[in-house]
Amino acid sequence: MIKKINLIFVAILFIAQQGMGQEWLVPEDQKTLKNPTEYNLSNVKKGKDLYLTNCKSCHGDAGKNNGLPLVPPPPDVTSDIMQANTEGELFYKITNGRGGMPQFGSTISEDDRWRLVNYIRNYNPANEPVLVEAPPQKAKLLASVNETEKKVEVFAEVEGNDGKFLVLANASVSISAKKAFGNLPIGEVLTNAEGRAEYAIPKDLIGDEQGLVNVVVSLGEGFVTDPVILDAAKVGQPKQVPKLIKKEVLWSTNENVQTWLLLSYLGAVGGAWLAIAYVVFQIFKIWRVGKQQE
Amino acid sequence: MEKSKSPEESRKLLDKITFDLTRSIVKRDELTNFWYFFLIMFAAVGLWGWFIQIRDGLGVTGMRDYVSWGMYIANFVFFVAVSLIGFLLSSALHLLKINWAKPISRVAEQVAIAAVALAGIIIVMDMGRPDRLLNVFIHGRFASPILWDVTVVTTYLTISILLFYIPLIPDLALLRDKGTDDIPKWKMKVYTLLALGWKGSAEQYKLVYHAMRILMLLILPVGLSIHTVTSWLFAATLRSGWDTTILGPYFVAGAFVAGAAAVVIVMYAYRQRYNLKDYFEDLHFDYMGKLLVFVCLVYLYFNINEFLVPAYKMKTAEGIHLRNLFTGNFSVMFWLAQTFGLILPILLMLCKYFRKPLPLTIISVFVLIASWVKRYIIVIPTLEHPFLPVQNVPDHFKHYSPTSIEVMITLFSFMAALLIITVLAKMFPVITIWEYAEDKGIEKEIISEPKN
Ligand code: HEC
Repeated sequence: MIKKINLIFVAILFIAQQGMGQEWLVPEDQKTLKNPTEYNLSNVKKGKDLYLTNCKSCHGDAGKNNGLPLVPPPPDVTSDIMQANTEGELFYKITNGRGGMPQFGSTISEDDRWRLVNYIRNYNPANEPVLVEAPPQKAKLLASVNETEKKVEVFAEVEGNDGKFLVLANASVSISAKKAFGNLPIGEVLTNAEGRAEYAIPKDLIGDEQGLVNVVVSLGEGFVTDPVILDAAKVGQPKQVPKLIKKEVLWSTNENVQTWLLLSYLGAVGGAWLAIAYVVFQIFKIWRVGKQQE
Repeated sequence: MEKSKSPEESRKLLDKITFDLTRSIVKRDELTNFWYFFLIMFAAVGLWGWFIQIRDGLGVTGMRDYVSWGMYIANFVFFVAVSLIGFLLSSALHLLKINWAKPISRVAEQVAIAAVALAGIIIVMDMGRPDRLLNVFIHGRFASPILWDVTVVTTYLTISILLFYIPLIPDLALLRDKGTDDIPKWKMKVYTLLALGWKGSAEQYKLVYHAMRILMLLILPVGLSIHTVTSWLFAATLRSGWDTTILGPYFVAGAFVAGAAAVVIVMYAYRQRYNLKDYFEDLHFDYMGKLLVFVCLVYLYFNINEFLVPAYKMKTAEGIHLRNLFTGNFSVMFWLAQTFGLILPILLMLCKYFRKPLPLTIISVFVLIASWVKRYIIVIPTLEHPFLPVQNVPDHFKHYSPTSIEVMITLFSFMAALLIITVLAKMFPVITIWEYAEDKGIEKEIISEPKN
């Protein structure tokens, strides 16, 4: 009997799965869950950081409708589909996932999932947005490397309302090193009141074989500038490149041979050749006996 | 062994045996010259092919990234297989005191030496840079089946040469002492040199027996290893068709089939050409036929295991491979090899008539060709289905067909093998005279008597 019920249950699940393209059903009691975290700037900001690391790759930038072309597509956070959800529904969907949407129940803490909900809520027309993104400003960035003191010196300006460039104070500048597969962030500094900043490069930063580093300096979000790339700055430690081909071997070296294998091989070969040597010695003896009998 | 005869009778009989068995050494007519010419000419053509391959690189072969082992390796496996008969006939049967095999053991040793020597040469010919051959030894890795194979092939070659040489010593002395004038002078010099001052004393015979016994015992594990290790070159991979535990014994059984067939053919050639009907008797062919049926049956049994079990399961990759063999690209080769190389020969050779010299030899030719084809379809189909993503690969990478250079070089290997056998037969008696004479009841003293 129980088996039969199970079977029916599985069948229903299966049918439900087929119909899922349209509607994503959330249990009634989950729908009405209250968000335990407060809807404020700090929580929305944290939610945004979480969104940028975990969700942006599929859902894209807020309001730009540039999510991955999956079927069904991951909706934009500002879209009606997204916002039609209650907070409880959002939480449920983030926690459990479906199809192309991963489940985050085990990777993101409950509080943080609620913060994500807060972040999504920031774009709900019914809500007063707490995180307002100002349109990006045009900025200028100058940077140079002081090789003897191993420092990066930065000067930033921003375009004012009248089109003139003003000193950019208190802006976050990120420093990274250009590597083969993208930029490796190494640190951040804030510009001072004169729009200047100094960043001391960590002593243990590793460059290429000569210790040269391509330093990339860029302004944070909200500014339009090209990053400054300081090529071949002698500020890093030389990279120790292990000699990959020490000997003329392919794939692996003799150091990796298992002992049992080595012993079996040497034992068998040694045994055979000892016996051969013994036989050759017999041939020598045949010759000697013949000689003695002359 | 027959009863001992009177000295007079013995001497006469020994003279006849010696005369008959030196015929191969003495005889030289138009056919000999033509045969040499034929072998050397085709071998030279093959060498020319090899020269082109060394000059232009392995690109002249059909081997590409995926099918990186082609006809050469198939041919190599074939020759290793053939060489294994030396182990069976001149050691295993000898140790089991099976007397009928004694006169055949030198033929078996000739075949073994020629085959294993060529196996070694073919490997060198398969190398893009043969000048780097020594690197295999200098930089070889002990974990690599390739190193094991190189070692075991050299070891087996050494043992085979010794096993050919040691029973030959008394014969060489006999030729040195009793050889007729029609043996060329330089050959006599070689005999004198190689006979090591043989006197035929009891002590020397004891040494010969002792050394032979050691070698025969030694060749048992080494002979088994040579083909088992060759099979590990394949079985130690994860590829479908090779990744089976049965491959070692499967190869060994297949080797006996190929080798026994080769020995029958060589035996028949000697019997006809050197008029040795009284030595390679109908009885020997009958026994060889029975031996061949026996090893074929064993091989058939392994074949059934090798194909039926995976065919029952048809695992994805294995299934592709098997379909390719049973009904796909290689099905013609596969079924021809199984029918003409295994099933029909077994059925025929069960009848006494087909174990007579000529029919048996014809069957052996089919068996030998089929075992070559068999090696080809062991090596190539598996490589055409690598476990790698093979999208966007030039089409000719996925399929292999040998080029004319490869055919030429393979031809060289056959010619060179035949050449080695021919030279051995022209240099030394094809049957161990002293052993044979002793079996016919002739005393050792009479054998080692100087010529009167
Ligand atoms: C691997 C790509 C991927 C990632 C990463 C991803 N999503 Fe999704 N998401 C999807 C897809 C695809 C859907 C549509 C699923 C469906 O309707 O079946 C979806 C749907 C959703 C929905 C439901 C929308 C609706 O239909 O009601 C929410 C809410 C959501 N995602 C939030 C998030 C959040 C928050 C994150 C980060 C923690 C995230 N997603 C990460 C692919 C992704």
